[in-house]
Amino acid sequence: MMRRASVAYAFLLPALLGLILFRIYPIAVSFLKSFYVRSFITKREVFVGLEGYQALFQDPIFWKSAWVTVLFNFVVNPVQMVAALGLALFLSVQVRGIHAFRSLYMLPIGISLPVAAVVWGVVLNPNSGLLNSLLALVGVPAQRFLTSPSQALWSIVLIASWKGVSYWMIFLLAGIKGIPETLYEAARIDGANAWQILTRVTIPLLRRVILFVVVADTISNYLLFIPAYLLTRGGPEHATNFLMYEAFKSGFIYLDMNRAVTIVSVLLVFLLLVIAVEFRFLKPQHEV
Amino acid sequence: MRYERHPVTQTWRRATRQSVMRLLWYGAAGFGLLFIFVPVLWAVASSFRPLEEIFRDVSPFSLRAFVPSQPTLEAYRAIFAKGYGRALFNSLYVTTITIGLGILVNSMAGFVFAKLIFPFQRLVFVVVLLASMIPFEAIAIPLYALAQGLNWLDSYTVLIVPALANGLVVFLFRQFFAEIPTELIEAALIDGASWWRIYSRIFLPLSKPAIISGALILFLFQWNAFLWPLVAAPKKQYHVIQVAIANLQIEYQVLWNEQFAASFIGAVIPVAIVLCFQRYYIRGIAGTGLKG
Repeated sequence: MMRRASVAYAFLLPALLGLILFRIYPIAVSFLKSFYVRSFITKREVFVGLEGYQALFQDPIFWKSAWVTVLFNFVVNPVQMVAALGLALFLSVQVRGIHAFRSLYMLPIGISLPVAAVVWGVVLNPNSGLLNSLLALVGVPAQRFLTSPSQALWSIVLIASWKGVSYWMIFLLAGIKGIPETLYEAARIDGANAWQILTRVTIPLLRRVILFVVVADTISNYLLFIPAYLLTRGGPEHATNFLMYEAFKSGFIYLDMNRAVTIVSVLLVFLLLVIAVEFRFLKPQHEV
Repeated sequence: MRYERHPVTQTWRRATRQSVMRLLWYGAAGFGLLFIFVPVLWAVASSFRPLEEIFRDVSPFSLRAFVPSQPTLEAYRAIFAKGYGRALFNSLYVTTITIGLGILVNSMAGFVFAKLIFPFQRLVFVVVLLASMIPFEAIAIPLYALAQGLNWLDSYTVLIVPALANGLVVFLFRQFFAEIPTELIEAALIDGASWWRIYSRIFLPLSKPAIISGALILFLFQWNAFLWPLVAAPKKQYHVIQVAIANLQIEYQVLWNEQFAASFIGAVIPVAIVLCFQRYYIRGIAGTGLKG
C-alpha cells in the first residue's frame, strides 16, 4: 500500500463522480423535493414543508397501495428465501450430471423481468392460458389469476419468484460449497441426523450469506414495479398497486412529480426500517 | 433379525436406499425443471406460430403445444416491420459502450482501493458501498429531474452515463487486484513507469477473469434495464429492447406470437452468454456478495 493522494483521487474521480451524481444525489433530491410543490401559475417550486406528506397520509389510495406493498413483501420474501435455500441445498449434492442441472436451474437469471412478465402473462391467461389447461388435466376449474382481485397479488408472487429463486440460489449455493466437508463429517460422527446438520451446521455457517440475500431480496421486492406496470396496471381494484407503481403513475401519468418523490421517500424510509429489523435478527452473533 | 445385521446385507441395503434416494432426486429435479421450462418452451414454440394457432393444442392440453405444426417466421417479420431492429441495435450499442467504459472506470477505482492509501479513504469507501446498495428503481424517478436539467432526455448519453459507475464492479476489481503483489508496483516505479502505465500495462492485463465477471454484471444490468430507459428515453428512436417488448405487450395486447418472438430474441442473447460464462458470473456476484 502506498500513500499517493493525488494519484488515488485522479483514478477514483470518474467512478466516484458517477456514484455520487447518479446514485446518492438523486436520493437526496428526492427527499428535498418532497418538501416542495411546483406551482402551476408561477412554475416555481414553493416550500411547503410536510404538507405533501400530510396530503399523502390522508389519501386512502396511498394507504391501500402501502398495504398491498407490505402484504406482498410479507409473503414473497420468506417464500423466495426458503425456496432459494431449499434449491441451493438440493443442488449442492454430488450426483451424475449435477453441473448440467445447476446450469439449467440458473437459466431464469438471464431472462429479464419484462420478458418473464410477458410470457407468464399469457401462461396465466384466464381464457385459454397454459396453466389453466394444465390445471384442467387434473380436474381443477379455470382460475382468473391476474384478472381476479383476490388472486392477482399471488400470481405476481409466482412470477417474481420464478426468476428470483434462481438468482438468490446462486449466492446460497456458493456459500454452501464454501463450507468444509470435515465439519459435516464431524457432525455425522457425533450422530447428528440430516435435520440437525442443517440447523446446527449449515444454516449457522451461512448466516452472512443469508443476511445478504434477505436484505438484497427485500430491497428488490419492495421496489418491484414491472409486473404491475405490464400485466395488471395496479389492478384489479388496486390489488397490485405497489407503492413503486403508484409513484410512477403520479410522476409520469398524472405529472405530479412532488407526489411521486414523496411516495419514493416514504418507501425508502420504510425500507430502511425493514432492513434494520432484518439486521437486528439475522446478524451473525460471532463475527469472525 | 440377526440375518439383517450381516455386513453384506447392510451394505446392500444402504446401496439400495442410496439409489432410491438418487432416483427420487432426479425425479424432483426433473419436476422442478418443468416449472422453469414449460412456460419458456411453450413461448418459444408459439413465437413460430401464426396468431390463430397460439392456443391450439393448449386447451385441451396436448404435447403438440410445444411443437408448432407449421413453423412460420411471420411474427418475427412483423416485429421487425414495427421497428424492433432499431431497439435491438440500441440495446447492443448501449450495452457495448457501457461495458467498455464501465470496466475502465470501475477497475480504476478498484485499483486505488486495493493498492493505495489516501485521505478520507474510509469515507470514500462507505460512499461507494452505500451507492452500490441503491438500486436504480429507487432513483429512476428523482434522477429524471436531473437528466431533464442536463438536457439529456432522449439520448444515448442518458441511457449510458448513469449506468457506468457500479459499486459491485468496483469491489470485484478491488478484490482481484488485492491478490496481485504490490512488489510489482515498486519495481515498476523504480523503472520510472507512470501510475497509469502500471495500471494499464501490468494490472489490467493480469485481470482477465475480473474483466469477464465485471463485463457480465454490466451487461446483464444494462441489457435488462427497464424503468430508467422507459422514463428517460420515451422517444421511439431511443427505445431499448426491454421497452420495445413492453410496448408490444401494451399496444398490441393480443398479438401473442409477436410478443413471444420479441421476448425470445431479447432473452436468447443474455441466456446464451450467461450459460457460456456462468463460472465467471457466479464468482463475480457471489464473491462480492459474500465478502463485500
